[in-house]
Amino acid sequence: MKVGLKIWRYDSKSGDKALREYEMDAPEEATLLDCLDIVKDRQDGTLAYRKSCRMMICGSCGMRMDGGAVLACKTRMYDIAQAGHVPVISAMGNLPIVKDLVVDMDPFWAKIRAVDPYLKPGYDQAAERENVVSQKQMESIHKESLCIMCGCCVSECNSMESDPDFLGPAALAKGMRFVGDPRDGATVERLETYSEEHGLWDCTRCYFCQERCPKGVDPRDAIAKLGAEAMHNGIDRDMGAKHAKWFVTSAKTTGWLRETELVPKTQGVISSIKEMKFAMGLAVKGKVPPPFPPHVAADVHESRALFDLVKEQGRDGALGIVQGERALMHLAHDAGGTDGAYGKGGDYPVPYLPEIDKPEPKPEPKKESA
Amino acid sequence: MKEVAYYKGCLASLSAKELDISTQALAPKLGIELRELDSVTCCGAGDIHEAEPDYYLHLNARILSYAEATGCDTLMTVCNVCTLNLRQANHQLQLDETLRERVNDNLESVGVPRYSGTIDVLHFLWMAAGTHFPQLQAAAHKGLKGLKIAPFYGCQILRPSKLLGFDDPDKPESLERIIRACGGEPIDYPAKIKCCGFPIIQAREDTALAELIQPIEQAKEAGADAIVTPCPLCHLSLDAWQSKLKKQTGKDFQMPILHLSQLIGVAAGLTDSELKFKRHVVSVGPIVEKLRV
Amino acid sequence: MAETHDVLVIGAGCAGMRAAIEAFDKGANVGVVSKLHPTRSHSGAAEGGINAALGNTAEDSPETHAFDTVKGSDYLGDQDAIEIFTREAPGDIYQLEHWGAVFTRNEDGRLAQRPFGAAGSPRTVFAADITGHVLIHVLYEQLMKRVAQDASRMTVYEEYFAWRLVIEDGRCHGVISWDLLHGGLKFVGGGATILATGGAGRIYRTTTNAYACTGDGMAMALYAGLPLKDMEFMQFHPTTMYPTGILLTEGCRGEGAYLINKDGERFMARYAPNALELASRDVVSRSEQTEIDEGRGVNGSVFLDMRHLGAEKILDRLPGSRELSMVYAGIDPIYAPVPVRPGAHYHMGGVETDEWGRTELEGLYAAGENACVSVHGANRLGGNSLMETITFGRRSGQHAAEWALSQAAGADAAESHLADADRDLKTLLGRTNGERPWQIRDALGATMFENFGVFRREQQMLAAIDDVDALRERYASVIVDDKGDVFNNDLTQAIELGNAIDLAAAMLTAGVARKESRGAHSRPHDFPARDDENFMKHSIVRWQDGAPDLSYKEVRKTKWEPMERTY
Repeated sequence: MKVGLKIWRYDSKSGDKALREYEMDAPEEATLLDCLDIVKDRQDGTLAYRKSCRMMICGSCGMRMDGGAVLACKTRMYDIAQAGHVPVISAMGNLPIVKDLVVDMDPFWAKIRAVDPYLKPGYDQAAERENVVSQKQMESIHKESLCIMCGCCVSECNSMESDPDFLGPAALAKGMRFVGDPRDGATVERLETYSEEHGLWDCTRCYFCQERCPKGVDPRDAIAKLGAEAMHNGIDRDMGAKHAKWFVTSAKTTGWLRETELVPKTQGVISSIKEMKFAMGLAVKGKVPPPFPPHVAADVHESRALFDLVKEQGRDGALGIVQGERALMHLAHDAGGTDGAYGKGGDYPVPYLPEIDKPEPKPEPKKESA
Repeated sequence: MKEVAYYKGCLASLSAKELDISTQALAPKLGIELRELDSVTCCGAGDIHEAEPDYYLHLNARILSYAEATGCDTLMTVCNVCTLNLRQANHQLQLDETLRERVNDNLESVGVPRYSGTIDVLHFLWMAAGTHFPQLQAAAHKGLKGLKIAPFYGCQILRPSKLLGFDDPDKPESLERIIRACGGEPIDYPAKIKCCGFPIIQAREDTALAELIQPIEQAKEAGADAIVTPCPLCHLSLDAWQSKLKKQTGKDFQMPILHLSQLIGVAAGLTDSELKFKRHVVSVGPIVEKLRV
Repeated sequence: MAETHDVLVIGAGCAGMRAAIEAFDKGANVGVVSKLHPTRSHSGAAEGGINAALGNTAEDSPETHAFDTVKGSDYLGDQDAIEIFTREAPGDIYQLEHWGAVFTRNEDGRLAQRPFGAAGSPRTVFAADITGHVLIHVLYEQLMKRVAQDASRMTVYEEYFAWRLVIEDGRCHGVISWDLLHGGLKFVGGGATILATGGAGRIYRTTTNAYACTGDGMAMALYAGLPLKDMEFMQFHPTTMYPTGILLTEGCRGEGAYLINKDGERFMARYAPNALELASRDVVSRSEQTEIDEGRGVNGSVFLDMRHLGAEKILDRLPGSRELSMVYAGIDPIYAPVPVRPGAHYHMGGVETDEWGRTELEGLYAAGENACVSVHGANRLGGNSLMETITFGRRSGQHAAEWALSQAAGADAAESHLADADRDLKTLLGRTNGERPWQIRDALGATMFENFGVFRREQQMLAAIDDVDALRERYASVIVDDKGDVFNNDLTQAIELGNAIDLAAAMLTAGVARKESRGAHSRPHDFPARDDENFMKHSIVRWQDGAPDLSYKEVRKTKWEPMERTY
């Protein structure tokens, strides 16, 4: 098939940038990475990009296609080429460019190191045997441990774009991998660190990380789990935590968010006085409803009773989020969209396997005793 | 007429009443009959999901249950955050029977009907750009007279796409489609799919404002007369926090921000008392003037 | 100013990082040179698991593990090394678990173990089907922990391409590397040096291996005059996807998947009536190739059928394999069988070492796939390679540290070597007329795939030797487009190709001379049987005057006499 690519070339020594267009013949199964290889081999050996495993596990080939981060080895070109589209390929965002599609990953790794990314055992380890941990407990960090550190989430993080010091989705997901690990003994210390300025409460919930992650780590959910664990452990000094707690109070008292009180509850009384002029401006427009009488939802007693009930059942902290993950796995990325559980069989394009489809192997081979 | 359960959420109930009023006025013109739910609470936003995730699930299950009790198959939302929260909880309850049974037992014990999983949660945008688009085309006869409108989607109606799935999260088209149908000209700009900063606008104001300025500045540069958004939280930050951008950067954008229901409402000839532009912080006057000519 | 360390590790996959950690813990100042960031190493792509006789799922013992390994090796493995290996494996697994490895658990909370090919007991510890990924990350975590503890004793030279060993006075002093990010040749010194650069699957056209698996360490050792052992034994993995060669783990079959031909027949019943799909890899690959050659395949492939496992089991135990099938074959294994065929996967051969990773040259060690201890002999069992990287990585790290700390520092010998390397580099970079590397690389891959694959014929092997010689001549005029300093991997890829050509020659030389069928080396047309009388011995290849030179070495036996091998 004919494939076209427009690639942003960049020379960090001279600072020159140029958008170059390439055309090539590629096999129908070709990925973006395969196409870059064709360019480098046959057209221009100076094109720089990272690669290694070509099976979406090493995390080398993160780059942007049409402005969104992808793993080049996971991106099949067939549909794009058939549509006649010539995508623009560029280096990942939020990281300095070294050359062409190669970024400097040092700032990325510095943030990973900042979360103390190694187990801090909480007790004397059993000698000459493993720690006994239930599979269910281990599953609570299953998604976080899928991370391949490719940087696709960081590339698109809206908060990091505005605050380059933000720890960011990859480092926080790595943090959750330890906070959620029953073998780790530094939960509180970790949550304190991660709750500092530029930590987990910097996340603006844009869900770009979740959308871009090629491995289903769901970093935004990992950050939510950290927030849940922080509050569960009483680490709630941050304004972000206070903001979240006030929602809970609102929901179980009036049923609706009491926005009037959100500013003082989040920022504290002193700084909310400084916000008074701004708040008054909003009040004039009815943006801040008067505190009395509070608007109360009908049958709000049900919602209060539900709160008491779930608190008794003790699915606090990250567990409350983890319990819903199994269902959402059925909607796993690339698994058939919203068609329902598992998508449909044969939902996936098989453009280069025409002959495979025809001789459908018999579904039930006769069973033989081993 | 398609009868749907209508969940307006906190903002449209309180600070963004104009969204509720214009939606109620507009819906019949698009062939949508709203069955308002009175016994529901806040969806919890991202905050209860983070602070008390198990409670979040139950709150949303309760909303879904009351929606199901109306006999409708659709719960219509007018807020991105409500949409994501309800759809996420709905998928979890629909796909995990064990989880659903436990939640239902809890609901039942406080007097809420069990939820059997029949509801589909749809944002008003998706109905207007999807199944009810022909009615919208017919209703928008007054037209926007070529006004340049910058669509601003907000985050939680696009991402995570596996939970939302109406638009291509990178190249959404539904707002553009509606703007065109209403006789306006959609403006394209990179920040239309990015974050408005609202969730951290109190806790991390500087970071949030650095996000907020992007759509407003880009829309202004592209010559937009107004920005339209399907989310009242985006509306609140774009509209109410614009004055803070002026204070911080010295740039006075004066960019009017419309709710989606207001934009369609203008084209469909809703009255001033149905549109409630007076409730906006940034004046909508300039575009009202343009339309009058 | 050259950086010098007590222990220098080249390569940062599982073996390299495990060695570096052990050397640090033994008090050494450690340097790690790797052409990739450590977590990008190909150990991370290992899927199915890691073998140790824990006996968590069923009765097992190191002794049984050793016997299975000896038998699997077709009696070419060195039995003393195998006994050490299986005895120490459980402790190494517990160590990894204590460091935080996210292994899958049994109902009772202990480490789960799944059945693997040719294993007498379910012995393969695993983390779903991303075991290598979990290990590479836990080792990198421990590496970062040590950097945090004492950064002066642990230095990682990321994206340094190791090119030439510096050898003076019968001792290895370190390595000359090309700094990919900044350019320039850099010498990094080590009192002891450990080669841990992994395999060389990229010599073949269809391989499970990463682009990085180009046999750099084996080539450096070969050029330094060291012996490579058992190079003819390249393992062909039975389940690599058509058309990309990407691996689907043996764990799929361990969890119960079937192999079927185009008629839907579970053909393994005809080849290995007892073990069926879980016969050893060489047996399964030969069976598949026979089916394909006799016309019962489709597109040169048979099928891996997981449908009867059901969605829940596939999602729990094999989610990575499902994702790989969907992305690269366009097939969801919950609903349809996946086309697979044998593909080059693992090099049983490598730099000859003893059970402490020591090579013939004092101060030089090797561990992991680039080494040949030998525990795998003529055929490796699935799950034994990850375990080898850990156990022998640890052992070589320990020995290298102890040895280096007991020695006086070597002479600073780098200058003249750097000058030589710089001159050769300039020659390569300065060439403007010639051939780009890719056609040579593709021709090499094709001839090895076609002539030195699952089944081997004398004439084809001889033809491949001629091909390789011709390619070496073409390589002499290879040109590098990129003349710059910054991220010039055009240069390093050209160097890798030169290595691959000579390693291919070493493999073919040993292959032609082995006139028997043993393990992965199968000659059904002229020497269909194993010949213990003449070939119960390791092949040894050295590089002499620009060509491979072949000799042999005895296999070390302890208690297992060769028997007929059936599954």
